[in-house]
Amino acid sequence: MNKQSIQKSAASGMVFGIIVIFFALIGFTVVISGLIQKALGQSLGVGQMPSTSSFLIFLGLLGIWNGWRASRQDKHETLNTKKVLGRSTIAGLVAGVLVMVYALIVGVLDNRGINLRTYLSQLSSESVRFFLFNQTIVVGILIHVFYSTLMAVVGGFLALASERSRERVKSTRESIQKWSQDHWLGKLQGNPYVSYVLMGVVLLLLVLLPRTWGAYWNYVMGTVGIYVLLGLGLNIIVGFSGQLVLGYVAFFAIGAYTFALTTSPEPHNLVWNFWIALGVAVLAAALSGILIGLPIMRLRGDYLAIVTLGFGEIIRILLRSDILKDFTMGPRGVRNIAGPTLFGRSFTTDVDFMYLIILAVLLSIFLARRWQESSIGRAWLAISQDETVAQATGVNTQKYKLLALSLGAAFAGLGGALFASRNQFTGPEDHALMVSINVLVLVIVGGMGSIPGVILGAFTLKGLPEILREVENYRLLVFGALLVVMMIIRPEGLWPARRPKLEVPVGQDNEPVHLPATVGGEK
Amino acid sequence: MMLEVENLNVHYGAIHALKGVSFHLEEGEIVALIGANGAGKSTTLNTISRLNKPTAGDIRYRGVSIVETPPQDIVTKGIVQVPEGRRIFPKMTVVENLEMGAYIFSDRQRIEADIEMVFGKFPRLRERRKQLGGTLSGGEQQMLAIARGLMARPQLLLLDEPSMGLAPIIVEQIFDIISEINQQGTSILLVEQNAQMALSIADRGYVFETGKIVLEGDAGDLLEDPMVKEAYLGGG
Repeated sequence: MNKQSIQKSAASGMVFGIIVIFFALIGFTVVISGLIQKALGQSLGVGQMPSTSSFLIFLGLLGIWNGWRASRQDKHETLNTKKVLGRSTIAGLVAGVLVMVYALIVGVLDNRGINLRTYLSQLSSESVRFFLFNQTIVVGILIHVFYSTLMAVVGGFLALASERSRERVKSTRESIQKWSQDHWLGKLQGNPYVSYVLMGVVLLLLVLLPRTWGAYWNYVMGTVGIYVLLGLGLNIIVGFSGQLVLGYVAFFAIGAYTFALTTSPEPHNLVWNFWIALGVAVLAAALSGILIGLPIMRLRGDYLAIVTLGFGEIIRILLRSDILKDFTMGPRGVRNIAGPTLFGRSFTTDVDFMYLIILAVLLSIFLARRWQESSIGRAWLAISQDETVAQATGVNTQKYKLLALSLGAAFAGLGGALFASRNQFTGPEDHALMVSINVLVLVIVGGMGSIPGVILGAFTLKGLPEILREVENYRLLVFGALLVVMMIIRPEGLWPARRPKLEVPVGQDNEPVHLPATVGGEK
Repeated sequence: MMLEVENLNVHYGAIHALKGVSFHLEEGEIVALIGANGAGKSTTLNTISRLNKPTAGDIRYRGVSIVETPPQDIVTKGIVQVPEGRRIFPKMTVVENLEMGAYIFSDRQRIEADIEMVFGKFPRLRERRKQLGGTLSGGEQQMLAIARGLMARPQLLLLDEPSMGLAPIIVEQIFDIISEINQQGTSILLVEQNAQMALSIADRGYVFETGKIVLEGDAGDLLEDPMVKEAYLGGG
């Protein structure tokens, strides 16, 4: 083995060792092991430590990954048993020894009766013993080293096996492709009627599901829906027109408060009709988009991001300050916000609200798509790629940037109004910076500029944490990890933007030009 | 007179970038603005197409002042700039770039005819028409930038450093095409550091130095001028 290969293996081991230690320090090991135990169908009481076997499964998976990664250092080389064994053993040993050192330190400290929770709230005596597999320190740390190495070697051989079977996978894939071309099922693909049927099924599900799956799911999916609205709006600003706006929550707040103040008996006793108030909230948000947009039109990139970030915070601080207390109720927030009514009947059950949100989302998807495919969308695309050149080709960049801001803000206003109406309450803390960041992250993770990507992103980032209540405390960790992983493996998002193909009017031959494989961009 | 620039002054904050520049361009001419880096040539172009705002002075296009005209309307008047540094839309295909160049028009058939016309001038682009702009070579990108400019049917084409960073053989091709465009009736204002190349196709030239015009004359005379020779043509 050469020196470089050894170094790479050791580096991989070090990374994985640090990950395990980090997870242990923040108590993530316990949470994940608990989830694994539940997934295996075993019960776990509140406050009870998960079983050692579920911890071993968790560690094993990490170890296998470690060995796999360390073994496959170069895509172009062919692996053999010797290389794999050497690399994975080194990676596993390095990870194991790091973890051993950590386990030794916390184990000894805990043994001496020092309460580690004073320093790190997750390091209870039980969790330290859990980390040592409920054995004595010496046995525990030896298990760590041995197990880490063993699993890394397993991972290494898995990598070897996967490489050896790659040829077979390739031929299988080709035969599937061929089959799907010949078979009637494959021919369905690309048939316009199929997409109509699919659309019909989706619509049917959208009608039926809110009635059947109960209030909890309506709540969760309602939140997802509102975030889809926000995502679609921010996507217009950031994805389509390329303006990095960080204070998006401000428009959400303006929508929510406009709606709240015009429908709540307190403080102004306006009690407007639901639909009028909704319209006014959307308009107010759109207008605020233009008002904030005008002075910052000349800013680009980082400057725009910072200024809008400040704008978002200013709105929240104003809302909770004493200056506007008589007008917006200050930190107490606005209560008794109206629910939807239609022809004098009120529609405030969870099912009604779900329908309302679905309707709003469908409308927004429709509008966003229309705009994207129109000449407005083309102007935005040009601005997002090179503003100066867009201007030089005759695009009124200022107009289109303002348009993007106000349309995006209108979506946020709609989302804010629905959010306030559903909760029947809104306060300054509903409109914290975290909302802006959540929405931006879901747009990035989903795929900037891609409408299906935004929807997928909203489900991933708002739906999953609701479903995985257990990891809720680790949401930020998961966010960060997800972003980093996404940037490495899918930098263009889960469902990257495929620009609507503009018609290609010229040319005799219709064969597409194949791009060199190394070139990024469209796939 | 097609274009008249009179006592043009531009400031970037405290920096006085153009100090009273005056020149003109007749219908059908190629006029070269030459000079060193930072002399104010590109600033002049950017100010004509209104990407910059002048602090004083006037620009008249066919007798009408255009200093207050917004940039998108400058394009509809027939003044089209090809910005410096081969700036194309990297994530649009060649054809989409060209269509973007025709953004101010809506007559589909004429746009298609125009695309055929520029493909006639730049056969390389026809070969690459479905390729993304960002994947083209430097020379092809410069060709695409000029082609995109032509799509706006310019009467006055402002070219900013079309030779920058290109191999000599490509530069020659590009200058041949510039002459050809001019012969077909488009007036051209050409900013260049490659003074030799620029003056060889230009009718007249102006020499810029630190925000001022220090010398002007027929291109042939400037090529022979000892000062120009010394400063921009690599000695006499």
